[in-house]
Amino acid sequence: MIEELETEAVRLDEIQPGAAAPWNRMAVAFCSLIGSLIALYLLAYKIRLLGSIACGTGGCETVQASPWADFLGIPVPAWGLGGYLTIMALALAGLEPRFVDSRPLAIALLALSTYAFGFSMYLTAIEAFRLHAWCRWCVGSAIVATLIFVFSLWEIPRIREKHFANQA
Amino acid sequence: MPSKSKAKARRGAESPIKPFYWLLGIIGLAGVGLIAFTVLKGGQAASEPVELPPEAVKNLNDLVQTAKGVKKGPDNAPVRLLIFSDFSCPACMNFTTRIEPSLRKDFIDTGKIQFVYYDFPLGGPGEHKWGFLAARAARCAGDQDKYWEYHDTLFGRQSDWMFERATPTKKLTDYAVTVGVDAGAFKSCLNSDKYADVVTANKELGNQLGVGATPTLYMNQRQVAEWGDYQLLKARIERELGIPATTSAQ
Repeated sequence: MIEELETEAVRLDEIQPGAAAPWNRMAVAFCSLIGSLIALYLLAYKIRLLGSIACGTGGCETVQASPWADFLGIPVPAWGLGGYLTIMALALAGLEPRFVDSRPLAIALLALSTYAFGFSMYLTAIEAFRLHAWCRWCVGSAIVATLIFVFSLWEIPRIREKHFANQA
Repeated sequence: MPSKSKAKARRGAESPIKPFYWLLGIIGLAGVGLIAFTVLKGGQAASEPVELPPEAVKNLNDLVQTAKGVKKGPDNAPVRLLIFSDFSCPACMNFTTRIEPSLRKDFIDTGKIQFVYYDFPLGGPGEHKWGFLAARAARCAGDQDKYWEYHDTLFGRQSDWMFERATPTKKLTDYAVTVGVDAGAFKSCLNSDKYADVVTANKELGNQLGVGATPTLYMNQRQVAEWGDYQLLKARIERELGIPATTSAQ
């Protein structure tokens, strides 16, 4: 009986990390979802599913029709959608008990969110200094990318702890 | 009962996450649903012509005379297609470079429609700030019968000049030279106030017609919403011309 209880206690220990779901990953997953929806809307706009892009409507016509609206031949919102969905998948996986302490996942999440933040800042700089035009949805996406990056910084202690634990 | 307590522990471990998954699911579905609804709603709106206000129709001819729209195609064409456009508008550039060539080939060059260009410079301190100047520049090129060549060049090289911080006089002049306009006469026109009144009258005409965005097209006193898709636009023009609808799937 005691042996059985001890075994159960060990299993509970294994489960315990998952019980305290990392709040930062929940925040990252939530922000990524919002980012995905913004990117989906912009993509629908870009491929003219939302009607023709007219000027003077307060939309994103200048930004969307600019030479920077495509990256490697693919519309930037499509990159954004793919990026946000990948980050969301990583963040959601990171909520699962078996991945909570996964160092590779923490590194991947931090790396991808940093890249997304950098790319977003690059696009914002293009709007500010080259196009002199602002797309409010793009600005919204930039804010979301910034929040994701900030929340991902909480992965650093996990990466460091695991690194030192491995060294020990 | 180890398996029961294990399951209980697991449920306890998952409970804080489950509502979060539900929240994400609901927000995701609602967001995608909203976008899908907007797409479907937008698709319907694009196929329906908009009736002009009666007072605008009554005064339309007077306004057209004052604004001096630039015509392409014969005066006796059965259909007139008016466009309100801004040289610094990327959507207008898309129309000019993607739709207009087919429109010219199928309808304008064959004398079926007369295409009339009206300036509607959106203005403001942002990306459309050189639209008015470009509109005047095009009129200056028109003095030497090069309006349409210059029009095409301005749209074709839009991203080269529209984001300029300083007045893009040099670039506008260079483009004029490339289409065969005498630089001296062009410069002197551009550096004066010539056509400022005409372009302003164009904008006023657009305002009175309720133009709120560019490009805005009118055909036989009705707004044309199908300008973004040539096949739809072609079908609309053919209806106006009384040509039976073709089932072309180009």
